[in-house]
Amino acid sequence: MAHKEWHIDRLKMKPGLVWQMAVNSLKVRISRTTLTLLTIATSSAFLIYLLTLPRSDDLADQQTWYLMLGLSVLVSAAGVLNTMLMSVSQRYREIGTMKCLGALDKFVLFTVMVESAILGFVGAVIGVIVGLTISILLGLLEYGFSLFQYLQFDWILLKILAAFALGIFLTTFGSSIPAVIASRMPPMDAMRGEK
Amino acid sequence: MSSLHTKTIPASDMPDRPAFNWLDDTGEDADLTVMTRDVTKIYQMGEEKIHALGGVNIKIATGEYISIMGPSGSGKTTLFNVIGGLTKPTSGNVFIDEIDVAQLDANELAWLRCRKIGYIFQSYNIVKVLTALENVTLPMLFAGVPPDEAQDRAVYILGRVGLGDRVLHTPKELSGGQQQRVAIARAFANKPSIILADEPTANLDLKTGEEIIELMREMNQEEGVTVVCSTHDHKMLNISDRIAWMQDGLLKKIAKRDEVDIEISQLAEK
Repeated sequence: MAHKEWHIDRLKMKPGLVWQMAVNSLKVRISRTTLTLLTIATSSAFLIYLLTLPRSDDLADQQTWYLMLGLSVLVSAAGVLNTMLMSVSQRYREIGTMKCLGALDKFVLFTVMVESAILGFVGAVIGVIVGLTISILLGLLEYGFSLFQYLQFDWILLKILAAFALGIFLTTFGSSIPAVIASRMPPMDAMRGEK
Repeated sequence: MSSLHTKTIPASDMPDRPAFNWLDDTGEDADLTVMTRDVTKIYQMGEEKIHALGGVNIKIATGEYISIMGPSGSGKTTLFNVIGGLTKPTSGNVFIDEIDVAQLDANELAWLRCRKIGYIFQSYNIVKVLTALENVTLPMLFAGVPPDEAQDRAVYILGRVGLGDRVLHTPKELSGGQQQRVAIARAFANKPSIILADEPTANLDLKTGEEIIELMREMNQEEGVTVVCSTHDHKMLNISDRIAWMQDGLLKKIAKRDEVDIEISQLAEK
């Protein structure tokens, strides 16, 4: 019998295709995307609002402020993580199918991560804009045009950065665990994994 | 020629043919696309062990159309998944084009699924967020085909399966039969060595099912691709080259179509 050989050209992951799939998936599931964006935007809006609130000298007020900050991060973390977890685990079948077609594990992983990062980024942009607007409007009502003497706009870029970091971290972290699991699963198990 | 990105895998040591009790007779020098040797698969369900496959030996020659019959739970799907590299056998070996699949790493398995094997499922499994065209293009893009070329071939195959006017439709806008046609086009896209069709007609009405099976037979002859198709339906046997029967995770019998015809006519005489 003639002996055969395989020449396996290593499949390469194309970043363009990853980006295209991620954007496509966000567009097609527009209602889910909007919902997730809303969750992230609310979280980062509240965070930036809290961070720019006038600082009180009263110790009790300061304690309340820290409590609110902690709670808000906790609540938004729970909300965003849950949303991301759901959205990935609902797609096990699709992921299994893609793997049957020859998708590399890292293609699956990167597509989900890029998608989450986009969600986190866009959500944070909306959140920061809304949060700052609310903060400034309320400041105007309270203090008139001298609002910037009261509001904490020092280190504002750092605070905006923190809101972005929170948004992107929560979305990518929330989807990373199910994405890693799904991308490493044998395709058949992934396809069966869908409830 | 091997480059940094190419790996050459030589043919594996083939098992001694006489040592096994082969049911079939593909002939000593037939080109084999698939060969399994004592393949078993055991699923652990809690305390219970389920023997889905209990040592399957099968040889499938290049270019043939083989139907696998058997009641549900007989291990057809498990056999497909093992042959297709979708799940690992508990013991035994699977050879595709003389290569032992067990030696492949995750990336090479992806390559195998991408270039060598086309899957058709009972539930179509079209990617819902993509159009028919994108669904067929996707495996070619995974394989590294330039996008323009991939799109041309996708349009051609979609036309071939009779969906020329529906290339930009999403799965939601397609009927079951049409979705299965997309799946067939997708499976043939990369010109694989073997098509694995797991009850492709089970969710379709009789007439559509027959059309789908006929289409697969035509594609099998046009593209010279080996087709392995599992089915419940006795009508599907007419177009197969060979028919295998499975029961309780074992291959019970393999016969050429004309032999089956004789048996059926003998039954009719009695």
